[in-house]
Amino acid sequence: MLKPAVPSKKVPKAVKKKNYNPHQLGKKANAILNTMLAVFAFSCVFPFLYVIIISLTDESVLEKNGFSLLPETWSFEAYQFLWAIKSQLLQSYMITIAVTVLGTIISVFTIAFYAYAISRPQFKFRKQFTFFAFFTMLFNGGLVPFYIVATQVLHLRDTIWALILPMAVNAFYILIMRTFFQRSVPESILESARIDGASELRIYFQIVLPLSLPGLATIALFSTLGYWNDWFNALLFIDNPALVPLQSLLMKIENTLEFIRQNTLLTGSVKGIMQSVPKDAAKMAMVVIATLPIAVSYPFFQRYFIQGLTIGGVKE
Amino acid sequence: MARIKRFFQDVYKNKTWLLMVLPGVVWFLLFSYLPMFGTVIAFKNFQFHPDGFFASVINSEWVGFENFEFLFSTDDAFIITRNTILYNLVFIILGLILAVATAIILNEITNKKMAKVYQTGMLFPHFLSWVIVSYFVFTFLSVDRGMLNNIFQWFGMEKVSWYSEPEYWPFILVFMSMWKGIGYGSIVYLAAIVGIDRNYYEAAMIDGASKWQQIRHITIPMITPLIVILTILNIGKIFNSDFGLFYQVPLDSGSLYPVTNVIDTYVYRGLMTMGEVSMSTAAGLYQSVVGFILVILTNYIVTRINKDYALF
Amino acid sequence: MKKIFLVLFSCLLLLSGVLAGCSSNESEAGGKDGEEVKLTWYMIGTPQKDMNKVMEEVNKYTKKKINTTIDLKMIDWGDYDKKMQVVIASGEPYDIAFTASWANNYVLNARKGAFKELDQLMDEHGKELKGALDPAFLEGAKIDGKLYAVPTNKEVGQQGVYVFNKRLVDKYKFDIQSIKSFEDLEPMLQTIKEKESGIQPMTTFTPHAPFDYILDDKMPFAVPLEGENKIVNVYETDEMKQNLDTLHKYYKAGYIKSDAATSKEPWALDVENWFVRKELYQPYAENIWSRNAGYELVVQPMHESPITFNNSVTGSMQAISATSKNPERAMEFLNLLNTDEYLRNLMDKGIEGEHYEKLDNGRIKDLPARKNYTVPSFALGNQFILDLYEEDSDDKWEKFEEFNNQSDDAPTLGFYFDPKPVRTEIAAISNVTSEFAQALLTGSVNPDEYLPKFNKKLKEAGLDKALDEMNKQYEEWKKKQ
Repeated sequence: MLKPAVPSKKVPKAVKKKNYNPHQLGKKANAILNTMLAVFAFSCVFPFLYVIIISLTDESVLEKNGFSLLPETWSFEAYQFLWAIKSQLLQSYMITIAVTVLGTIISVFTIAFYAYAISRPQFKFRKQFTFFAFFTMLFNGGLVPFYIVATQVLHLRDTIWALILPMAVNAFYILIMRTFFQRSVPESILESARIDGASELRIYFQIVLPLSLPGLATIALFSTLGYWNDWFNALLFIDNPALVPLQSLLMKIENTLEFIRQNTLLTGSVKGIMQSVPKDAAKMAMVVIATLPIAVSYPFFQRYFIQGLTIGGVKE
Repeated sequence: MARIKRFFQDVYKNKTWLLMVLPGVVWFLLFSYLPMFGTVIAFKNFQFHPDGFFASVINSEWVGFENFEFLFSTDDAFIITRNTILYNLVFIILGLILAVATAIILNEITNKKMAKVYQTGMLFPHFLSWVIVSYFVFTFLSVDRGMLNNIFQWFGMEKVSWYSEPEYWPFILVFMSMWKGIGYGSIVYLAAIVGIDRNYYEAAMIDGASKWQQIRHITIPMITPLIVILTILNIGKIFNSDFGLFYQVPLDSGSLYPVTNVIDTYVYRGLMTMGEVSMSTAAGLYQSVVGFILVILTNYIVTRINKDYALF
Repeated sequence: MKKIFLVLFSCLLLLSGVLAGCSSNESEAGGKDGEEVKLTWYMIGTPQKDMNKVMEEVNKYTKKKINTTIDLKMIDWGDYDKKMQVVIASGEPYDIAFTASWANNYVLNARKGAFKELDQLMDEHGKELKGALDPAFLEGAKIDGKLYAVPTNKEVGQQGVYVFNKRLVDKYKFDIQSIKSFEDLEPMLQTIKEKESGIQPMTTFTPHAPFDYILDDKMPFAVPLEGENKIVNVYETDEMKQNLDTLHKYYKAGYIKSDAATSKEPWALDVENWFVRKELYQPYAENIWSRNAGYELVVQPMHESPITFNNSVTGSMQAISATSKNPERAMEFLNLLNTDEYLRNLMDKGIEGEHYEKLDNGRIKDLPARKNYTVPSFALGNQFILDLYEEDSDDKWEKFEEFNNQSDDAPTLGFYFDPKPVRTEIAAISNVTSEFAQALLTGSVNPDEYLPKFNKKLKEAGLDKALDEMNKQYEEWKKKQ
């Protein structure tokens, strides 16, 4: 059977297993570690396969037998339900992609700039600005003032920027990037360029950035995921159906279900809603189409990511 | 006067750096610092005013620490604080060990193609929201249709009604948190490990250092700054918790509250009937202040041990 | 080091000044002397495909009638509460918002000053509206003598009913008329459990309890409908104990879903997987339900006559925001919406000839395009001026009025508790309640064991203090009546 969801603490112990192989990792250790990673990686992917199976299960079978790995009857009905709202889905896809791409570019640039500056000993105010960024990780003014800034100062309501700007910078990523710059871009490399009279900006673009691809790729990956999965900003700022991203279509269903659960007394009057709430299979189909694109594009994305890591690895 | 002059000279000398941080600074000012003024409502009884938020804040009466009382008033207050801290401690320690171990293994195993596949797989849970994860957990733990109970029955064992027996949940929650977070966490460390200068390893190999020794004396020391920083940051969030993990995964089941109730879920449930902006702001402020103090403390201790590793 | 913070701090102050300026200067005032005005209206419900089309027609009409156009913002069911909390707290200018006891909480928002007092506005700009409404709504929805939202004219009382799947009732020849109490259901449930696999004997519901709840129907505060007129802890009453015992018995027998306490099963009508459920009745509701379900249903009342609770009179209302720049126009619009048959039907069913058609006898029938425009009728406005469907009974609205006349007032009708003095206790009690109530009210746990625990924890959370405060406020209110 498949590995059930019981706690397992095997992974860390394995590190000790390979004591006796001086240079390369021994065959045996390699095999053991491979197996462990494979099992864990499979347990990570498995739910997604499961979700796909459920989305292809006939609704009446789900109703009767519950979830199962090999459903009695397969059905594409759930996807037909989605086909019926294809124009909205397509529009939402476009929005999500646009937001993710634009947002990732903006956020990687802003974060890398900031992190690089505070990683350099030449920058006199680096400590202050590090603290300035760090402080925001712990304290926030809460939702309402944030909403006011976005709607009344920046006038972001019902624009695509409402989905991009609020997530553009993240102090956590800045601090990770700062450490990365400190470790991977040592001053010694930059010294010679400085002696040649290159400006700091030129050094940054021509030497630092190419050296930092692994770090940049990591940050880019994180922000891509963040943008792709965001729905809360859409809830706050987007009323125009043409600007609703994919994830918030999904969350609307969830929120409605939770709403029904908490308002049991209402049953009489909310009959109208119940009809619009998709059944289990349709919900899973929704999960599939909201997650699949990024899930399948990630391995391609990862190629560059790994490339970035390797380039970073073979540097002088 | 002289000092002010010197300050401006410094600003001028550092103008390139300042230019670099400028976009970030503007963003922080707008989205983080400006909204912080809203925190005053934690000390007020918030009443709406027709002239907008500022008028509301100014006209609401001060109530001191009254909005904080509900966090401390009952026996539950002890339980939620204990749960929050204990879970976070386990998450921090176990998460650190597992993520670093995974990153090192990924870096060491000989088949790089497979390493890539594993890495892709392990990041998968990060794509799924907690709501979806909770469905998935449900397919395992459901009393009559769950996979685990089916297996148990197969072996002639008693069915377990998972969602009403608290003793299993500390493990389930820790497992789920690790399951979802390790792929993501190991990527950060992997990026740092790959960034380590290969020359160190070559030198070590010439000296006849075993793999284990290499890891202990090169890899781990090289990523220690990152470990320290991430841990300090996590300690700052020790009073916060992942709402989805503690609310959606246990399906908000009442009988599990003794082990699943944390500060965030307590605040949510307590204010559901009243929708008090002031009280939820107060709870947020409480979490931030404790986190802040802890971070400053940890950072101070780290500074005493090794100045280079400190956050600021 | 200190200086840079000083500089930053002054920047902040400057920015906050800008912020303050922005938030107060932004207004679209006007319309005092009949200029054209645009009203923003937040409404609950799933946004509809043909919304813009219909609103264009609406705006044509309202522009002609009261020189006003409407910007309708439909927010989905589950999002509405969250969104409105932020919109209201931020002091954003808008004009009209849906409010009720169950979404965008009417009492809390009114108490906190989010809504305009409407008494005078209604007398000046909404006379027809006032005339059209059942006075029970206007009286019941007043908080400390003032009205803060326009109730929707519909059924005023609540009547819990058992709804049965008619196919199964006929099949086993059940006499549903004989059911007087929750316990009477048992033999039927047993038959269904034994003979019908794949059918859940009862959906997850709590039986009728003779209480008038103060905050919501899980919190422990209520006035018993019979007996002493004061607020008690319902979880210490015999009636509640009896209900919980029966529920637990049914649960153990497998009549209730085994994971009822945590399930998100919505028990959609169009899935025929149940035998009996609970609904709130309105005249001819069984016809609507049967139509939605696609199979026949029958009903049997749970208690004698309908009861008018606070929750039922504030079940669906439109409030005018305290931040509205054009409250008069907003009232004129609500007046028109609730009294003008053309506008009301247009908003309810869409455009005639496109979304529905009128038959020769004056009745109406949906057209296929209607699925692109389905809005929650009960939440929008006056029900009594809606056109009747082909299959509706002639006396539908008369029956509604009869139903309203039969309704008995609940003891606390018009009393709205102000939780401010005991909000710490209420927060704690709310937590304890969500820990125990769901499990008890679905029968999932044994009341003999859990009820004492629950009550003990309630006491620790400050139940007595909260009860004292409530009863104090209640006594004061009663004196004024």
